[in-house]
Amino acid sequence: MALFEVRNVTYSYNSRQKRPSLNDISLKVNEGRRTAILGANGAGKSTLFYHFNGIFKPSAGEVLYNDRPLDYSKPALRELRNDICVVVQNPDEQIFSSTVESDVAFGPMSMELPRDEVDTRIREALDMVGMTDYRMRPSTQLSYGQRKRVSLAGALAVRPKVLILDEPTAGLDPQMAREVMELIDQLYCAGTTVILSTHDVDLVYSWAEDIIVLNHGELVYSGEPEEYFSDPEKTAYAGLARPHTFSVNSYVSKMRGLEESPYPRTTSQFIAKMAPEGAKGGHVRIVPVKEGTEAVEKTGAVGAYGYRAKKLVEAKGIEVDYMYDALEMCMQDAVKSKDSVLYCDEVLVDMAVDRIRSLESFGIKAEVIM
Amino acid sequence: MTDETKLLEARNIVYYYEGNKTPSLDNVSITIKKGVKTAILGGNGAGKSTFFYHLNGVVKPASGVVLYKDVPLSYKKKAKRELCSHVAVVLQNPDDQIFGQTVKEDAEYGPKNIGLPKNEVEARAKRALEQVGLWDKRDQNSLQLSYGQRKRLSLAGALAMKPDVLIMDEPTAGLDPQMALELMELAEQLHHSGTDIVLSTHDVDLAYMWADEIHVLRKSEKVYSGKQEGFYSDSVLSYSAGLLAPSMFQMNSTLSALRGKDPAPYPRTEPQLIAKMVPDKPRGTMQIVPFKGAITQEIIDSKKSNRIVGIYGTEVRKSVASANASVDFFFGGLESCLSQLLNGEDVALFCDPDCVDLMEKKIAEMSQFGDPIQYQIEEPIVVEQHTEE
Amino acid sequence: MSEQTQMDTLAYSSRMLGWAPLGKLLFVIAILIVNIATASVLVTFVTLGIGLTLMAYSTNFKIPFIIFLAILEAFAILIFGAGVISVNGTDTSTVIWDTDFLWMHFHMTVDSFNKAWLILLRGTSGIAVMLSFATSTPIPHMSLAMKQVHMPTELIEIVVLIYRYAFLLLERMEAMWNAAHSRMGFNGARTSINTVAAIAVGIFIQSTSLSDKSQIALDCRNYRGYFPVFSEPAKTGVKWLIVIVVAAVAIYMFGEYTADWINMAHLILGVE
Repeated sequence: MALFEVRNVTYSYNSRQKRPSLNDISLKVNEGRRTAILGANGAGKSTLFYHFNGIFKPSAGEVLYNDRPLDYSKPALRELRNDICVVVQNPDEQIFSSTVESDVAFGPMSMELPRDEVDTRIREALDMVGMTDYRMRPSTQLSYGQRKRVSLAGALAVRPKVLILDEPTAGLDPQMAREVMELIDQLYCAGTTVILSTHDVDLVYSWAEDIIVLNHGELVYSGEPEEYFSDPEKTAYAGLARPHTFSVNSYVSKMRGLEESPYPRTTSQFIAKMAPEGAKGGHVRIVPVKEGTEAVEKTGAVGAYGYRAKKLVEAKGIEVDYMYDALEMCMQDAVKSKDSVLYCDEVLVDMAVDRIRSLESFGIKAEVIM
Repeated sequence: MTDETKLLEARNIVYYYEGNKTPSLDNVSITIKKGVKTAILGGNGAGKSTFFYHLNGVVKPASGVVLYKDVPLSYKKKAKRELCSHVAVVLQNPDDQIFGQTVKEDAEYGPKNIGLPKNEVEARAKRALEQVGLWDKRDQNSLQLSYGQRKRLSLAGALAMKPDVLIMDEPTAGLDPQMALELMELAEQLHHSGTDIVLSTHDVDLAYMWADEIHVLRKSEKVYSGKQEGFYSDSVLSYSAGLLAPSMFQMNSTLSALRGKDPAPYPRTEPQLIAKMVPDKPRGTMQIVPFKGAITQEIIDSKKSNRIVGIYGTEVRKSVASANASVDFFFGGLESCLSQLLNGEDVALFCDPDCVDLMEKKIAEMSQFGDPIQYQIEEPIVVEQHTEE
Repeated sequence: MSEQTQMDTLAYSSRMLGWAPLGKLLFVIAILIVNIATASVLVTFVTLGIGLTLMAYSTNFKIPFIIFLAILEAFAILIFGAGVISVNGTDTSTVIWDTDFLWMHFHMTVDSFNKAWLILLRGTSGIAVMLSFATSTPIPHMSLAMKQVHMPTELIEIVVLIYRYAFLLLERMEAMWNAAHSRMGFNGARTSINTVAAIAVGIFIQSTSLSDKSQIALDCRNYRGYFPVFSEPAKTGVKWLIVIVVAAVAIYMFGEYTADWINMAHLILGVE
């Protein structure tokens, strides 16, 4: 089912613009898919998703949510924005309370939830972004990365059905960027539809199932990434570059007379495809994390995937090699024929297993042990 | 061959930010050498920009010393004035660095402040704006430019000081991929023409393609100085510094390990990786066409024949854009052309005349990964420009 | 403005953070009124003692340098003002000092001396008491107190917003300041003036752009015009009012009783 649908929408910020910010756009965003909106600066990415939560009303065309046109009355919009949370790129635009706690509390409090429910949600949201110790800090004392995490926590505390993130990894160092993506995966696996807008094509390629590409307010492409990146003209036209794994795979496959498909999306998949024949995969032991999970024997490098997994390894004093990007690191070990252990949040287990097993289609079979 | 004389050196710098008890720079020692493309990785925003301000004398460390060409900095007014015409710092947020109402006024701000005569001020501003490709917008309101243009304007402001070394904090942050490529090309050109470039970034892939040497900051300390491979080969070190190895590096080292081959030589760019992975496919040839002036589609097509066309250089790119001409690779021309060449295609590369030797240098680097690339440098084409509007 | 943000940081680590903000405010006002109403120097010593004790409890005397400078500045103004008063005696009490200096005529009497001291002590104790409030009450709590006395919400909102964005703009100002230094923007008086003007323009424009974007971001969060405080400080109960009234009355009575106990001229200069 289409979660959002935009039909012939046109929108301009002001009448002096030469070109509308969105020009007769029609597209659909599907429910339960990892969707990324791509485009150069000024392409209209933010403008588009501000139509999803009713901030902007199109001058022509209509916007539908769950197959129903948006109701722009104040109470309806308030309801809508409890279902759909947008986290903007610059956290300073969105954090307005003086302490971390009050800012995260804002969402649940304006939903008029009982006090201890609000408290639980604050605690959980701060846990998820790793800012538990900063609860009573004044927001002016936080670094940029911490502010970004607080603004994310503010949205998480609302427990929206749809989470829209504008450049969630911009300005973050690689570790924090991976941690944010891990969190996003966790939310996705737990049922939240996540839409992100970005111009980091490598990130998109390793994460998104559907992409929407905009350029100067027009739709350039909507669908799966491979078809889009296979067309270098379309890519250049939208001001984007091709992801590294895609580009190298494309050239090398052509030069070796191989099929470009299957398309490796991550480094581990790429290596699996390009590895010599008969390379043997290592195995990954997945330890689902729940109440009472204990440490297991260390058969190789150890990773923690998911915020509950990270809490567990800290609490139990387990020595961990991969605290971030753990799944991909374990997969890389597997293609190098090494074994590893992955403590994994329950909700992420299925996805982790699928990913690890996908290596086989690229040429290296990695065992999953539970 | 780089001349390894010390340009800038920070020795045991300790700095406390406004009343904090923990230092934001803790015993940091970094040496920047002449002619060496340097990247500073890791660390948080506040720590890095403060560090840069130590290098141009705006901030004085609590302890430790900063040296420029082996002479410790004097923080007296006259010495500072001297220094800021040698060391320029460009920050991440261009809006924090715009001091003139029009583009031209902003570029003139620095030279005017140090009391240069009027014609020198204007000449410097013109040169700086031309280098970044904003001269034709010189009378526009500086704050009405797009983000990418404002970033280039802030760069022009620094270039107008005619520095020996230009330090850029996160130059590609906030830029979309093609603008980022364009900016890195500009950085390459500047470095090649004598202004040493030091940049800080979170983008390890970018740094890997560009830098000769890196310095890695973690929280408030420096954890590594030296060649990139030395850092990324130590996966524990790089991982604990919060940095993942660049994808080129990971792909190369893992595949080499699987094939029992030596990871060296280390490919840094896509064509280098491709050449290493598939060394024996018959290759195409490259024509380098130095070009200056107003380009037209006819000129491009005349060279095109059955070749794939790319461009390199600020002037050529501007020229192609204003002629609305079409080429195969508007950005990343050199790399894409090389990749195509490896795949057996013949390619043509239009470039600024003063970039020809840079192109040759980069092509020569490909020889580490297989047979040398066959290329030919054409006669430069110069088309007279109409007088500037 | 940077004093205010520093003050807030201080307030959040104060031991008096959780006390009812309105209670604290009313207490401070009561003390100030008693100070002014009384003629007894001893009372000002008492209130100064109260102020300093509260400040010590609130901040443990860990005061950031900038705030310390601001306090010194206020104190310096007080001393100057008191000094002026002390040498402009117009009454008929004993003359302590009478002289001409340049174009000025100094005439210090016992009364003017005592008056100057009274004002100096009133001012100092007033500052101490107000500081004990400021260093333990961050702006959001103050806005709660203001709401409780039914100040218009628009006014409160403006105060809170100014506080919030002052911090952000200070950051931008510092960044521009450093960037200007890098391009010798403070090289001489005329250059400095130009630079300061450019910085003002830059901040103004960045602030308008920030406010536009913030409006959108706040709408996304269903902002309805007020700022919630989750961990609310204590409510002002009857206990507070009793304490305040009793303390104020007691101190005032004490003041009436001891009005003539201390004569500063007598104490310090040995003059009758």
